[in-house]
Amino acid sequence: MSLKAFQLFAGVATVLAVTFSGAQAQTKYPKDTVMLATHSSPGGGSDIFLREMVPHLNRVMGLNFAVENISGGSGAKAMAVVSKAKPDGGLFYATTPTFIYTSLLSKPEATYKDLEPLVNVFFDPEVVYTAADSKFKTLKDVIDHAKASRGKWGAANPASLERQVLERMKTATGVRAAVVTFEGGGDMLINVLNHTLDIGIGEMQEIRPQMEAGKLRVLAVMGDKRLEQLPDVPTAKEQGVDVAVRKFRGLAGPKNTPPDVVKAWEEGIQKVLADPAYKKVYIENGLQPAFIAHDEYKKFVAEFGKETEDFLKSTGTIK
Amino acid sequence: MIDLSGMMNALIASPMIIPAAFAGIAWGILGGALPGISPSITMALLLPFTYGADPTAAVVLLASTYLGAEYGGSIPAILIRTPGTNSAAATVIDGYAMKEQGKAGEALGISLYSTLLGSVFGVALLITLTQPLAAVALAFQPTSYVGLGVLGLSVIASLSGESLIKGMMAGLIGLMIATIGTDPVTGNNRFTFDDPELLSGIPPILVMVGIYAVAELFEQASQPGWRQTNTADAAIKMPDALMRARLRVSQIIGAIIGFIEGLTPGGGGTIAAFLSYNEAKRWSKKPEEFGHGSPEGIAAPESANGAVSATALIPMMGLGIPGSNSAAVLLGGFLIHGMTPGPMLFTKHYDVVMGLYAGKVISLFALLVVAYLILRPCIWLVNRPKHYLMAFIFALVLSGVYAIHNSLFHVGIALAFGVIGYAMKYYRIPTLPMVLGVVLGFMVESNYRRALVLSDGDHMTFVEDPIAACLLIVAFGFILVSLVRHFRDSMKSDQKVKSA
Repeated sequence: MSLKAFQLFAGVATVLAVTFSGAQAQTKYPKDTVMLATHSSPGGGSDIFLREMVPHLNRVMGLNFAVENISGGSGAKAMAVVSKAKPDGGLFYATTPTFIYTSLLSKPEATYKDLEPLVNVFFDPEVVYTAADSKFKTLKDVIDHAKASRGKWGAANPASLERQVLERMKTATGVRAAVVTFEGGGDMLINVLNHTLDIGIGEMQEIRPQMEAGKLRVLAVMGDKRLEQLPDVPTAKEQGVDVAVRKFRGLAGPKNTPPDVVKAWEEGIQKVLADPAYKKVYIENGLQPAFIAHDEYKKFVAEFGKETEDFLKSTGTIK
Repeated sequence: MIDLSGMMNALIASPMIIPAAFAGIAWGILGGALPGISPSITMALLLPFTYGADPTAAVVLLASTYLGAEYGGSIPAILIRTPGTNSAAATVIDGYAMKEQGKAGEALGISLYSTLLGSVFGVALLITLTQPLAAVALAFQPTSYVGLGVLGLSVIASLSGESLIKGMMAGLIGLMIATIGTDPVTGNNRFTFDDPELLSGIPPILVMVGIYAVAELFEQASQPGWRQTNTADAAIKMPDALMRARLRVSQIIGAIIGFIEGLTPGGGGTIAAFLSYNEAKRWSKKPEEFGHGSPEGIAAPESANGAVSATALIPMMGLGIPGSNSAAVLLGGFLIHGMTPGPMLFTKHYDVVMGLYAGKVISLFALLVVAYLILRPCIWLVNRPKHYLMAFIFALVLSGVYAIHNSLFHVGIALAFGVIGYAMKYYRIPTLPMVLGVVLGFMVESNYRRALVLSDGDHMTFVEDPIAACLLIVAFGFILVSLVRHFRDSMKSDQKVKSA
């Protein structure tokens, strides 16, 4: 190594070291107040997710947070606003598979590809359930019935992750089943309760009141592992159906979010997930902590997008 | 089956019901008193502003507005010989005659007393009858919803007024509007032109605000102003014992006809008012006074209106079928809070229904109090220049629509439907069939296709479900009766033309 090169290297290293230690010493986040945007209206899924997390995040990260509802176009407007924002850590968007579906199903001004996934926070566990007085005791019963005659399976919405899961389950097991879609979980629930449908699929949060009232029986968890809230319910994989889904809840920001901002969030989210007060809240809400770091999350969302696109093409929904 | 404790609980859970009932009555009387501002517009104006409110308080506010407007309509009918609402048209005849005789205060008192009695009767029926209607909720399958939706659409036949073809056209346009958005089965986009704003379809609320409020304001802008009045002799005088005894028969007639018309889709207040006026005259001991200031001539139509304002809610809540414009707007009030009226309403939102019942009872007291207090402001308002009033209301409508989702796109949709509604009025195409199409179209289509997915394409599934089969038979009966009546009427008018 020549002297010149060495000097340059040393210089860069010093600058880096100073910057780094400076950042360490102050842990200065570039903004005092961070806006967290969601496309859901007040009281909706993502809105509740953000509003319940904010007070704990405020304590852990020492920043002010404000939740803003940018409704309209199933996330199209929120995506457009966030993609155009300055990447200074001042504005993030609460992501769910909806933003991928909206990007693929219509031609919004900005798509999920125009945003940079920041970190993931939770998975919303999807469960398959049936009426408490139905003859199906396990997922295998359901599959066997669908093999012998014809299954009737319900998903809340036509262009949704839930329908995708059922279609995948149908393909994986090779059975004959009608996948029926509804306008929201409530309508479908009734049809499970009155035995019009064999099974329904949905987030645990949605069915909790009926589950606690003893009117529903959860047959399988459609994730990689069992749920803390339902330790006795096996996953679909354990029951020989190789389908798992990860309905994510995380954050995304404008492209080129600076590394120190990313770092602050990676630390902050891990800390808040471990916080006992917050843990009590999210466990009660049926959420599964699922921190995914920035680099991995970018890949995760891209893969999820690809998978969804393939699915929507296979059903003829998009070209 | 009256759940008093349920109503009390709802009241404790949302105490906002009480101010909502009073505010609704006050707003309703003001809106009803303005000629040209019908109960449905008065309600549609409030609709966007209920978005942020507690759902129970919101529906109570709208339902109370309905009652207030039905009474308010009689104020200008009596004082300036101009009915504030269509259903107050029958009140003009004897109400204005009494005013000419210097008995305006008595006339207003009789109107208030009769509206009140009619609505007490209506609310009692609402509370006892709606729930049994919805008791079969859990047994409702997709096939049953198809039957219900078809029954709702069959009402178009009797709503079409003078021209069946025009009514069908309006209904079809409504059904077409309902196809915009995401396909309920495949998830494909239909008529969205790749615009994410259209992904979730055209919200029925915007259609209603456009058709009922915006189009009406356009219409009003093309009409001359109404008469003015002096306030000197206006103070409500309640009828004394002797008068109450005299009014009894006409009020009973009014309340019963109001109840029947409220239940029948397409009936509504106007028909009930005129029918009961005629019947009251037929049964009266002094029929010769009718037309010359008979108190019974006010009591009968006003008690009918009062009854309709409560009983029109029975099919709207129990079956999700709005039989009149005002009921359609109230249905919008449920939709805006994510509640779909129909058999499931009682299972899913029992507390809201109980709250609404409690609110309806409170609104009866509110009517009595507010009617006294608001008479003067009301007369003042009616005496304002019409163009200022209309411009003010227009601003109110648009800011309200914007406030729902902070969306200019939605303002655009409401304005577009205003223009469509105005054009429909101009060509005498009835608007309620279109609103029905928009409200019921998606339900019929999605459940029809869902039922076929479940049955593997076998249409017999609609006959095998007993609920669906019954509802479909009723629907076909309904269409048949309307058709027969329609052709008989047109034959009669043909004969008249020939004989003339």
